[in-house]
Order: sequence, then C-alpha cells, then structure tokens
Amino acid sequence: MTRYVVLIAYSRSEWEGASEETRDYYFAAHDAFSAYVAQHGTEHGSGALADPERATTVRREGRARDGELVVTSGPFAEAVEHVGGYYDVELPDLDHAVAAASLLPSAYTVEIRPTITIT
Amino acid sequence: MRQEWGRLVALLLSQFRRLDLVEDALGDAVEVASRTWPVDGTPDNPAGWLMTAAKRRVLDRLRTEGVAQRKLPLLLTDAERQQEGARTMADGGSLVEDDVLRLVLMCAHPALALEAAAALSLRLVLGVPTADVARLFLVPEPTMAARITRAKKRIVGAGIPFAVPDAAVLPERLDVVAQVSYLAFTAGYAPGTGPDLLRADLSGEAIRLVRVVLGLRPDEPALVALLALVLLQHSRRDARVRDGRLVLLADQDRGRWHHDEVAEAMRLLRSPVLAGPVTPLTASYALQARIAAEHATAPTAEDTRWDRVVGLYDLLLQVSPSPSARLARAVAVAEDRGPAAGLAALEGLEIPSNHRPAAVRAELLARSGDTDAARASYDQAIAACGNDVEREFLLARRADL
Repeated sequence: MTRYVVLIAYSRSEWEGASEETRDYYFAAHDAFSAYVAQHGTEHGSGALADPERATTVRREGRARDGELVVTSGPFAEAVEHVGGYYDVELPDLDHAVAAASLLPSAYTVEIRPTITIT
Repeated sequence: MRQEWGRLVALLLSQFRRLDLVEDALGDAVEVASRTWPVDGTPDNPAGWLMTAAKRRVLDRLRTEGVAQRKLPLLLTDAERQQEGARTMADGGSLVEDDVLRLVLMCAHPALALEAAAALSLRLVLGVPTADVARLFLVPEPTMAARITRAKKRIVGAGIPFAVPDAAVLPERLDVVAQVSYLAFTAGYAPGTGPDLLRADLSGEAIRLVRVVLGLRPDEPALVALLALVLLQHSRRDARVRDGRLVLLADQDRGRWHHDEVAEAMRLLRSPVLAGPVTPLTASYALQARIAAEHATAPTAEDTRWDRVVGLYDLLLQVSPSPSARLARAVAVAEDRGPAAGLAALEGLEIPSNHRPAAVRAELLARSGDTDAARASYDQAIAACGNDVEREFLLARRADL
C-alpha cells in the first residue's frame, strides 16, 4: 500500500458557470473515484481549494531561521494551472492510483504524488 | 544463460522486492558461472545454480546493509491481490500468472519515458549488457547506466508495481510494450558513425523482446503486427551497408535479404487476429508491415508494385497521420507516377530539424531535370543534416548533378 496525494489542477471559475447537468457529471465522477478507492484501499481525506487569489504565502526572509516573516498575498508559484483540490488516499500501487484518477472529471489534470516517511 | 535472465530477475524481484539489488546479484552470479563452469563443468540445472548464487548475493547485501537502507521503499507487487483473487476467483480465470509478464509490464510502464522503458526492458528482461544498450542508443556507457538507475528509482519511488493489471487495461498496456520494443528496434537503425553505422545486431535484441512477450500473449494483435514489421525491416540488414556506406533499398542485393524472416513475417500478416477490428496502433504496424512486404516480395526493385504501396500509405495516413509517412508516400507516388506527381505530394511538407524532406525534394527535382533547384534543395538538406554518413551521401549526390 502506498499513500498518495492526488492533486487536481482545475479552476473554480469553470465550476461557477457549470450547468446543472455538468455538476451532476462532476458529482458522479467524484463518487466513482471514492467508491474505487474504498474498494481497493482507504480515503484519508480530501478538499476543494478556493481560488489562488484567496491564497496567502508565508516565508522567512532569505530562508534563514532568524529571517523576518514575510506574508504576501497570492500563491507561492505563478503558474498557468493551480491546484483546485486534492485527495489523500492509500492504494496498492500506481496502477490503482491511475485507475482511480481516470474516474475523475475529464476537465481535470491530475498529479499523483506518493508521500514518503521522513526519517 | 541469457534466455533465463528475465525469468531469474522476475523470480528474484518477487522474492526480495529490491529492484536496486537483483540486477547486480544476477550479474555477479553469471560472472562467477562464466569462470567456474568451463573448469568444473556446467551444473545439471544451470538456471537453478544461477538462482541460488544470485539469492546468496542478495542475502549478503541485505545482511551488510545499514538500518537506513533497510527502510528503503520496496517494490510494490500484486502478491497480496493474487491471493485475494485465488480465494474469491474474482477474475474468472483471466488473471495472468506469469512473473516475466509482470517484469515486462513494469519495465514498459506508461509512467516511464519511452526511451528509459526501452533501455530498462533490454537490460532487465533480456540481460543485454549496459554497454550494448548504450551503444544502441548512441550514448556513453556511464550515461546509460545512470539512466537505467534513474528509471529503477522512479519505478520504486512512484509506486509502479511488479504486477499484471486488470484484464480491462491489459491490451493498452501491451500496446505500450509494443511501442517500447519498436523504439528499441528503430534505435539500431538510427545511423551512427564508422563501424557502428547500423547497430542491427542490437535491433535483433529488440526482436527477441517482442518474441518473449508474444510467447506470453500469443494472440495479441499489436505484437503480431509488430513482429511482422520488425522482421521485414530487419531482414534487409546485411544488404543495407556496403563499405561503411548506406545502400538505398533500390540498390540493395536482394540475395542478401533474410528470406526466412520475410516468410515468417508473411505468415504473421495472414494471422486471423489481424483480420478483425484492431487498435490504431496495431493497424499502423500492420500497414507499415504490408508496405515493407511489398518491397520484400518484389523480385527486383523495378518489379515493385508502387501503386499498391501508395494505396497502403493512403490507408496509413488515415490511421496515423505523420509527416514521415507523408514523405514516404510522396516517394512512392514519384515512383508510381513520376517526379512531378511526387513533388506535388511533397508540397508544403516540412519536418523541423530534419533534412529528409529537402533531400527527397532535391532528388525529385534532379530527376525532373531542374538542376538549379535540385542543387538549392541539396544545399538545404546538407545544412540540416546532423549525421556524417548521410551528409557524405548528400554531398555525393549533389556533385553528380
């Protein structure tokens, strides 16, 4: 079993303008994902993220321990695609993670990232 | 010994799940065998002997490893799922029980880059030495060794399993295996320099890879079509180079073609599994094989049925359109209907950083008597050509104008 974080690149604005039918498709796709994970492993958590405009970035100046705390508005990376949601799941292997991800809405780009144990 | 390599790697992997150790362990065992067997005699069960020796190596390594190393992530396998399946008989017997197939599917996984997958397949499934894999892909040996190590780390790190996937996705995974094998095959025909002009012997290893997989899945259409295609291309290997120079198809000594391989390919092309509906990849391999078969079965270059070749290229362009197929079709059109028709078929065709469209245009312009335009096109092709042997060929053609 491997613990994977499934990161979803998707813009919330697309959701805001979605029709009832589209929304039903999205809900059904997420249900199918969760059902697959439940059958083959464990779903530890999930979340939908607000737009990057609502993000706040916090870091230490110069990455030094005594560096001044800098709080800025916006996400830490300027990117075309932003993470719009995530799943935290435990599945047997990458093949299962890909099979689960394939059930998600077709408008998503999905990144599957294994978690590791820091020792 | 090499025939057993993939099976032994697979057995060691399912037992120890340490992708970083098995290859070295088996390599050491083979090395010891090559020294002791000629002196002590070959054991009754050579594979068993190698397995025992390799196992001992792995166990030695595991014993001397530090605690940190022991916490390394292990290769994921479907051993647990297999037991589950056996208990419930869930898959109605369509579960494939073969460690070598697991190994092949792990090496040729879609989450690996095709080139990395090809190198890894040759190394782990067939035991091709890293130096030879490097020669095939025209990179220095340390570069290839690093590439293979990276691929192995990626397999364990990303969680690519040593497993046979569900029957529903197995065909598309075998399509990837076919693509990986074909990439390994064509690498041997990418012109190098000097005595390594073609590394056709190493392309033969890729054919062996296709045969191994086909042995496990005999009716897989993509693999049947691919084997036909590579056999036909490979059958010309001895006629393709003369005195360190490439020989064009029309000028090749057809007596030096391997006609037994042509015959095998023709049998494969008549296989019933290719008669029904097939995937675009399979259709593309089968059509390319049928084009190669037109050449292979023509008694002389003049006897080539270019009308049929053009027709097959028309179908190929429908199934999988590509600039190189368009280029090849234009050449066939020129043979069938003359250089003017060929030039018309070439109209607007460009392949970035590739000299071939300009080279073909130059050749057709020369044939239609437009020497000035031909010279200009040759100049363009020569400027874009990155390979010494091919550039020399183009310079010679230009001088002949």
